[in-house]
Amino acid sequence: MAAPSALEQAAEGGSIQRSRAPGGLTLRAFLRNRRTMSGLGIVVLLGLFCFAGPLVYHSQLVIVNLNIINEPPGPGHPLGTDEYGFDVLARLMQGGQSSLELGFAVGIAGTVLGLLYGAISGVLGGIWDAVLMRIVDSLLAVPTLLLLIIVSSMFSLNLFVIIVILSVLSWPSVARLVRGQVLELRTREFAQASTGMGATKWWILVKHMIPNTLGICVVTATFGIADAIYALSVLSFLDIGPPPPFADWGTLLTNGVNNLFNGYWWQVYPPMIALILVVLAFRQIGDAMNDLASGGQTGRIYVRRRRRMGFLQISTQFDLRS
Amino acid sequence: MTWYIVRRLGQALAVVVGVMVLTFILLHIEPGNTAKAVLGLKATPARIAIFDHTYGLNKPLYQQFVIYVDQLFHGNLGISYQLQQPVTTLIAQRLPRDAVLLGLSTVLALIVGIPTGIYQAVNHNQFADDALAGTWFTLYSAPDFLEAFLLIALLCVQFHVFYATFSGGITSVGGLLADWRALVLPVLVLSINSVAGFSQYTRTQAIQSLASDYVRTARAKGLSRRLVLNRHVLRNSLLPVITIVGLSFPDIVAGALIAESIFNFPGMGLLFWQSALEHDYPVMLGATLVIGVATVIGSLAADLAYGVLDPRIRYGSS
Amino acid sequence: MRRSPRLAAAAAILALATVVAACSGTSSKIGSGTPKITGKPEKGGTVTIAEVGASPNFIFPYAPSTNSNGYNVNLTQGLWPFLVYSGDGGKAIVNPQESLFSSLKYSDNNSVITIVLKPWDWSDGTPITSRDFTFVYNLLKYNYENWIDYTQGLFPVDVKKVLTPNAHTVVLDLTRSYNPTFYTDDVLSTIALIPQHAWDKESPSGKVGNYDETKAGAKAVYAFLQKQGGIMSTFATNPLWKVVDGPWTLQTFNSSGYYAYVPNKGYSGPDKPILSKVIQTPFTSDTAEMNTLRSGTSIDLGNLPLNDVNQAGELEAEGYTVAALPVAGVAEMVPNLYNPVNGPLLRQLYVRQVLEYLVDRPQIVKKVYAGYADPGNGPIPVDYGQQWDSPQEKAGGPYPYSVSKAKALLQSHGWSVVPNGTDTCQKPGTGAGECGAGITKGEKMQFQLLYTSGIASFDQQNAAIQSTEAQAGVKIVLKPEPFNTIVATTAYCNAKVHPVATCSWQLQDYGYNPYFLDPSGAGQFNTDGYGNYGGYSSAKENQLIDATEYSSSSSAFFAYEDYTAEQLPYLWLPNSSNLFVFKKNLAGVTPWNPFSGTLNPEVWYYTKPGS
Repeated sequence: MAAPSALEQAAEGGSIQRSRAPGGLTLRAFLRNRRTMSGLGIVVLLGLFCFAGPLVYHSQLVIVNLNIINEPPGPGHPLGTDEYGFDVLARLMQGGQSSLELGFAVGIAGTVLGLLYGAISGVLGGIWDAVLMRIVDSLLAVPTLLLLIIVSSMFSLNLFVIIVILSVLSWPSVARLVRGQVLELRTREFAQASTGMGATKWWILVKHMIPNTLGICVVTATFGIADAIYALSVLSFLDIGPPPPFADWGTLLTNGVNNLFNGYWWQVYPPMIALILVVLAFRQIGDAMNDLASGGQTGRIYVRRRRRMGFLQISTQFDLRS
Repeated sequence: MTWYIVRRLGQALAVVVGVMVLTFILLHIEPGNTAKAVLGLKATPARIAIFDHTYGLNKPLYQQFVIYVDQLFHGNLGISYQLQQPVTTLIAQRLPRDAVLLGLSTVLALIVGIPTGIYQAVNHNQFADDALAGTWFTLYSAPDFLEAFLLIALLCVQFHVFYATFSGGITSVGGLLADWRALVLPVLVLSINSVAGFSQYTRTQAIQSLASDYVRTARAKGLSRRLVLNRHVLRNSLLPVITIVGLSFPDIVAGALIAESIFNFPGMGLLFWQSALEHDYPVMLGATLVIGVATVIGSLAADLAYGVLDPRIRYGSS
Repeated sequence: MRRSPRLAAAAAILALATVVAACSGTSSKIGSGTPKITGKPEKGGTVTIAEVGASPNFIFPYAPSTNSNGYNVNLTQGLWPFLVYSGDGGKAIVNPQESLFSSLKYSDNNSVITIVLKPWDWSDGTPITSRDFTFVYNLLKYNYENWIDYTQGLFPVDVKKVLTPNAHTVVLDLTRSYNPTFYTDDVLSTIALIPQHAWDKESPSGKVGNYDETKAGAKAVYAFLQKQGGIMSTFATNPLWKVVDGPWTLQTFNSSGYYAYVPNKGYSGPDKPILSKVIQTPFTSDTAEMNTLRSGTSIDLGNLPLNDVNQAGELEAEGYTVAALPVAGVAEMVPNLYNPVNGPLLRQLYVRQVLEYLVDRPQIVKKVYAGYADPGNGPIPVDYGQQWDSPQEKAGGPYPYSVSKAKALLQSHGWSVVPNGTDTCQKPGTGAGECGAGITKGEKMQFQLLYTSGIASFDQQNAAIQSTEAQAGVKIVLKPEPFNTIVATTAYCNAKVHPVATCSWQLQDYGYNPYFLDPSGAGQFNTDGYGNYGGYSSAKENQLIDATEYSSSSSAFFAYEDYTAEQLPYLWLPNSSNLFVFKKNLAGVTPWNPFSGTLNPEVWYYTKPGS
């Protein structure tokens, strides 16, 4: 592909660099990249485990059986049982469904909303920026715990309600981050050059700002997914989560941790490992997506080796195409 | 610039007022009777009547708000229903403690996170980068209470290096700092989460800066790597970090609920949480006020810092 | 692959976790009797008690109606003990050494009480006299509505006259007859004597006088004492609170709830403190307390959360004794007989019987509470005391776990039984073999159980109940909520008053109901009782309860107890005990006093090992 040679040229301190919109982030590039595929592979495996697993591994998760609570791994229960007598492996699958759905939905929704809001605010500038950011400040200042308690006592909390609430709570910080980034980008020459050439604000927004903030956004989305999954466990730690025996990895982990000193390690490690795996996998994907989205210059400060490096930002002196 | 600050302060006031009104409304939407929530099993109609009368709960909503604002201007934030103490006293006792705890942990996270982020950026996609990222994300994904438990189990129960809790007799900030052996673990646990964020955002920005033209120009001119990193890359990498610090400023006054609960640290987090559960309006309103003010200050400070770090960013112009 | 460094890092952290979890606990049998403590008693020493949850915030013994903090009594009982002190050496009886009366005589058909006070002194040397009693009476007479512990219809409104023939005798002329045990144990035990000679004033610098004898004065004095009683920063320094008649006096109190007692040198009672200091140190949560217990020895006495019962072995290795303390109360699911959805169902006795038959209480006690719970056979805990435990209660109650009996009952009343499904009424009507009044054809046997969230054993217990009820097709829908939310959003519901807004709850399990020394059903199971949440009403029940209030015979009490157990105004549940840990060489803590529990450190002492 053309990218490597442009890279190498650029690495030499070449002259005019061409700006590339995230053209590097094509489906084909995604599929051929080792890191995205390995990250995606983990996510797919986990997804299969959670959604297809129960079709293969049958265990009942409805009737509480106090006679077999808290049993260590053994025949019939490869990962032991929890405090309700449910098989831990089956709970892990059931929990994973909720966690994956939640993490994905909230992480993406929150980031997209925040990205749009923040980018628009940054580009508009002036009074509009002030108003929009003050609204963000207000949302950040509202006591979220209070909101959660009120909502939990008015509606019975199920997964959908929680997704909505967490998305609403997560976009303001993204918006601030993106807006900060946009403010900085606006001062760059390419943006000023574009304006000079008569491009409207919206054009700049779509063509330059949003693509160039993808770096921050991808990092944010990664954290967002981790945060969302984690937030549910905090909700259950504070006892305003969905009623038992609802399962998601975070809740399973919370309940397990309470038993840590009792020695029920099989209730703690499986959900913890699953949680960490999924977060790391998303991070892997996100990071690699960044690299692809660049398709431009290197990120190393000294040019000793020529490796295919990704970076996040496409900043050029002149953008002849805009 | 001063005109900008003045305008921002005016906006800040508007935000705080807006949040207060919103919280006031939210509190009264919360289902259930306040007197009953506070009095619990001892609530009889006679006692409920006395309760409502004492705290003016039988007046119409707007009138209650007006009375509250009036008291506020006289420096009176009301009396906590549950704890039966003036709200100002409660906040004045707990806020400094949280400030110490969370301030220290933020500083620690910055000290560790920023250099690591830059190091990761410089060694982008190398082993060191991946190993560090793996560590931070693992620590980030593991919930606070798990980390706290593990640290306590190891460092307090197994090896009596640190203390698991503050002894209850300590109330002053000086006393807190003197009991440093009990301070270490909560600060550590709280900083773990922030380190991941600070380092990752720094790394992202640093990678971008390292690729930018002026940096390469500087290198080409023969400036040492160290100088380039410190003078150029670092400054730019700090921008998102500043946003995050600004965003976390309200957390310093909102407290850290889980850490407080595990480490026996009665702070604003627990106060807020218990008052939300117990329908303790004056405390909720007082705490919201404090958090609201902190939020707008954090936001303003972050924006000002932007301007300082990157002189190209100017406010007031389109 | 690039992934490996990341995973390696993760693995390292998990390895750390392994090391830690390896030092897990082992379970060990916990005794409830008196452990053998050998060794010579030592004079002096400091005991640090862990105080979890809330801490006191009011020091005047008569708190206002706005202050329901149950921990205030922990602070005041050691300073101003109650006239009648509940619990002695592990038995649910009146404690003669620590009570302030030397004799109590009921006469005139149990409507006149003659109380003779002990010749004790206040800490400043002034004798305790009957004037102090009338001081209490006068203050409460005009202010009882603003007293959080006032029980409707009882002291002080049930007193016609108070006479004081001499400095140590008080004669109470009541408005009607009462069962002496009931009145002594449940009413007089809420009265603490307070020093009239030091507190009868209206302002801090004012002079002491007889202001309490007029209505206006009584109100002014009460208001003044209430105001002073809430100023936490002066609890340990205000001269008012230095005048005590109990074994202790307050040395320090700081705003976080940390406080320390030292012995009252002027205490006149025989149980003079042997320890030199008792400290209460606050903890924000059970977890924090457990962590401190595990990581050192700074706590001398603390609570062991039931969830951590496996830690008992480790704690014993560290030098603690672990003991179980049964709780003086009853735990239940309260059925709301007048809820709009299935009130008619719950009003039928057979439906309540079905619900009770399907709760496997022994298994819950064994598996959820590790054996440390009262089995929940009826309204009275099984080891409350000989005079209160009827034979039926001790034998397991009228409704032992039986799925077949539940199914038979349902079928004989016209229900189609669908195990693990939902039963429906097939024969509506009020005749024999039919579902009952107000029940329609096809109506489902389904109930929503509202319960207090945040307690792991509750979650387990109620999930188990859901499963066992399902065996006969009774569908229970679980809804956990924070305790304060439950209390705030639900109200008492009965035939006369059941507004939909607060009476739509169907079954409620908020915790347990504590008892006084005399576990009377008055207030809970009688029609219009102030504690009758679910609206149960029966003329026979009222009659039996009255009988226990007027007469003191065992048979009257057993009759009430057995009938109530059968009638199921509450669906009885196991009530977990409290587990405590305390230093091995701390003697006098057990046998437990179920009412004062850890509040009478005047009888504790350290022993030197050996000899």
